[in-house]
Amino acid sequence: MSGYVGTSVPRREDRRFLTGRGRYVADLVDVATLHAALVRSTQASASIRVDATAARELPGVHLVLTGTDLDGVLGPIEPLHRPHPVFAEAFGFRWTPRPIDTLAVDRVRYVGEPVAVVVADSRALAEDAIELVTVEYEPGRPVTSIEQALAPDAPRVHPDVSGNVAATLATSFGDVEAARERAAVVVRETYRMGRHGGVPIECRGVLAQWDPLEGRVHVRTSTQVPHVVRDAICAATGWPRWSVRVTVPDVGGGFGPKANVYPEEILVPYLARRLGRSVAWIEDRSEHFVATAQARDQVLTAELAVDADGSLLALSVDFAADLGAGSLWVAGIVANTAIHLLGPYRLPAYRVTGKAVYTNKTTVAQYRGAGRPEACFALERSLDAAADRLGIGREEIRRRNLLGAADLPYARPLPYRDGVAITYDGGDYRKCLDACLELLPREAVAEAAARHPELAVGHGVGCYMEATGRGPRESARVRLLSDGRVELSTGAASAGQSHETTLPQAAADALGVSLDRIVWHPSDTDRLAVGVGTFASRTAVVAGNAVREVCVRMRERAVVLAAKMLGRDTADLSSGPEGFTAVSGETLTWEQLAGALALDGRLADEGDLDISGVYEPSTVTWTMGAHAAIVGVEPATGLVRVLRYAVAHEGGVEINPAVVEGQIRGGVAQGIGGALLESFPYGPDGQPLTATFAEYLLPGTLDVPTVDVAAMHTDATLNPLGVKGVGESGTIAVYATLASAVEDAVPSRRTRLTATPLRPADVHAMCGEDTR
Amino acid sequence: MKPAPFQYRRPLDVAEALADLRAAPDGKLLAGGQSLLAVMNLRLSRPSHLIDIGRLGELDRIFDDEDSLIVGALCTHRRLETDPLVRRRVPLLAEAVGHVGHVSIRNQGTVGGSVAHADPAAELPAALVALDATLYVDRHGHPRREVPAEAFFLSFYTTVLEPAEMLTWIRVPAPECGTTWGFAEIARRRGDFASAGAAVVLSREAGVVRQVRCVLFGVADRPILLDTAVLTGRPVTDQTVEAYAADATRDLDPPDEPELRRAHARVCVTRALRDAARRET
Repeated sequence: MSGYVGTSVPRREDRRFLTGRGRYVADLVDVATLHAALVRSTQASASIRVDATAARELPGVHLVLTGTDLDGVLGPIEPLHRPHPVFAEAFGFRWTPRPIDTLAVDRVRYVGEPVAVVVADSRALAEDAIELVTVEYEPGRPVTSIEQALAPDAPRVHPDVSGNVAATLATSFGDVEAARERAAVVVRETYRMGRHGGVPIECRGVLAQWDPLEGRVHVRTSTQVPHVVRDAICAATGWPRWSVRVTVPDVGGGFGPKANVYPEEILVPYLARRLGRSVAWIEDRSEHFVATAQARDQVLTAELAVDADGSLLALSVDFAADLGAGSLWVAGIVANTAIHLLGPYRLPAYRVTGKAVYTNKTTVAQYRGAGRPEACFALERSLDAAADRLGIGREEIRRRNLLGAADLPYARPLPYRDGVAITYDGGDYRKCLDACLELLPREAVAEAAARHPELAVGHGVGCYMEATGRGPRESARVRLLSDGRVELSTGAASAGQSHETTLPQAAADALGVSLDRIVWHPSDTDRLAVGVGTFASRTAVVAGNAVREVCVRMRERAVVLAAKMLGRDTADLSSGPEGFTAVSGETLTWEQLAGALALDGRLADEGDLDISGVYEPSTVTWTMGAHAAIVGVEPATGLVRVLRYAVAHEGGVEINPAVVEGQIRGGVAQGIGGALLESFPYGPDGQPLTATFAEYLLPGTLDVPTVDVAAMHTDATLNPLGVKGVGESGTIAVYATLASAVEDAVPSRRTRLTATPLRPADVHAMCGEDTR
Repeated sequence: MKPAPFQYRRPLDVAEALADLRAAPDGKLLAGGQSLLAVMNLRLSRPSHLIDIGRLGELDRIFDDEDSLIVGALCTHRRLETDPLVRRRVPLLAEAVGHVGHVSIRNQGTVGGSVAHADPAAELPAALVALDATLYVDRHGHPRREVPAEAFFLSFYTTVLEPAEMLTWIRVPAPECGTTWGFAEIARRRGDFASAGAAVVLSREAGVVRQVRCVLFGVADRPILLDTAVLTGRPVTDQTVEAYAADATRDLDPPDEPELRRAHARVCVTRALRDAARRET
């Protein structure tokens, strides 16, 4: 049996999720579990002295530890991504890797930073004890913006980092100066993308159980990267790998903030082992808003030179990313922005300088798009500005510059993050834009305007480029179970992305069995010794191909074993959904094969049919897409409504088209949130101004229209499954597309939309300007 | 977050609740818990006693008096929104509560809770001021106080309620013949706290305004009953409404984004007055 790949098999996990039977970390906490809670800094920048004496005396409190107690006991969390030397050389990337402390010792650097940890019989008791821990703050001068951080007299966020600069890069190709000289139009503008983040419906949570029988700690954590968490625990504690098992229960959304390692993931296992108990820490939403990594927060100054026809001559960008008090993904974020500024266009000359800076704000991780939405915003807004100056239309300037079938594959004179020279392995990007505009043409504005006479209606378009399926590897394991079913597991953990459905689809096809035969097992470091995780639009590509590979190997091995059982030659055997058939007619089912391989079976000496493997892609595979939106602006109030939205994307084989569409729609929803609603502002004192969902506005069902999606299939030849990543395709171009549409709805001579989120006050001011 | 420790009481009738309140004057009444529990969980509110009045079924009733509705403090928003009697007799009330949060919040939140909480962006206090409602306040061993809605709200989350007092009933005059209503609210997303809002009760006679009560919310420390004298004795036209809205909102000083919020207030006054004028009497 074959042919699951490419069909919209209903999600196998949905019954569990939709009937309230999901098993999230918090669902696994039992009455014997102790609860950890954290004392968190209330100051953005201060020297501290912590006294936990009173807290330790509260009945029901088992342990209180401060940063001083753990200094030298628990190491910090090391950066999760180190740049490839070839990339670093080509991009002039310089940095000083800086780890993140588990508990602050004598200095705090952001509001929410863990200062001490309390373990008590209940969470409520632990919070009572927190109030008894006194923290004396000697406040310093906080730094809350990129501009402040880079000012000559700026206070240092970290005393050992001068100028607050965490990393820099600088590279170029082509003659940018000459291009500028002969350009018909040069547009220059500073763009700003505000700080927001993934904000999953399930906050983080860690449950660690000490098992005295095995002498090991079992850690269950709401993460996208279980192996990375295990390795970080081992690095911080010095424990050997075998003594830490990390498993992933149901996870209610990750989006990047959970592709990270946090102090709580180190502390809770340590506490469980030290106390010889089960210890849980379940993040609540108040904590989440200060303690879970945030994202974006970039300023980019872009200069785009075009000739009289609108052909791109050169792009020159200087950008800075605000990391807050730290990030384990510094190299990834600045690299993504620097690379994806190249866009899906013919671009003969490019120069980029970038830096990452520390501020006294919550730490930063990668969030859906991870440096790409920022790049896309600067590039696409520059294209709009150039088109307006030339009077050629915003769609037209893109059509003239997008790479077509004749241009592709398209090599760029720079390496990707993996050190391999960049080659866009695309099909026809112009066709993709046309497909998007066919779904949602500019002419549709008239109909929308007729339906919403109270709104000023506008149309916008934006294109993005994305490298997907980043290596270096992912692992997969299949094993034959006693009843003839096959258990499948990967290192890439699911945070709701349908792995339980899509990866078994790939497995069933490779094994030639029915989908029912595949049993999905959630990620578990005991099942697979190595793994990387789910992020960067990589799982379908890297885990998917790992699954395929181990299944192909299993099928080959199964045929050999079945031939042995039947006393036939492998060449005389075929395998089918139920098992194996010899040309002579004898059959052996998968279940019979499992019986034969059991310890008391005829093939016991052959060992289990249990195959693990890793897939290592040669490099990334590129996707491109075009977004179009129709928005309605209410001039009297400055409120923006997204009336229609369309995405055309160039992907490879779709394992499950419904899942792909869902990924795009979810991505657009998050993009709409970031472009219009979501924001983590900070006061001048470094206090976060977003403490609840009353201030942090997520888009709801009424804020997100149905998204029309067109899939432009191309042959992804870099991997055997022929797939490309799609997780971030829906998000990257939303910001630029909506800004473009709002400008179209309320054209202004004076104001260009250069910052997100688009604030009603700014839009309202534009509207007033328009009517005056 | 978990609340700080507190004592829990659950009285079974109003008399017992009032006695509990007298015994613990810094106690808090718990009804739907939609505002109180959130601030307790953040430990911003730390009452020594929590007096759960959820079982006081006597206050979960609505009476149709000859010229008024009498609404028990424990009626939920959802009930006001959907009750056929309320919708017929005081439709402004039903419309206003429909803007409170989302259905799950309205299923829990109570009229008394919203009024006593006195969030300046809340819909119900504004609607009650526009309707010229009377709030009944009880206290153990004291005679009942009757407070006009417009005198009840003092500032952000502050009312005339004394510590041992409890809001029990609300008398809402049902509009007379010739009276119509209007409501408008602007929020970033449906169900959010209002950026600005307005509730209007308009009485006309022979095509001219006899009286109009227009209340703004979300733009000051409490609902503001606007001076509408200039509108009386004249017909309601687009010009009079727009000129009035511009005048009435010019001096507002909302806490943040003042320019935008003033503009929103102006739009709301205009829309609510037009809404009221459009309705048949």
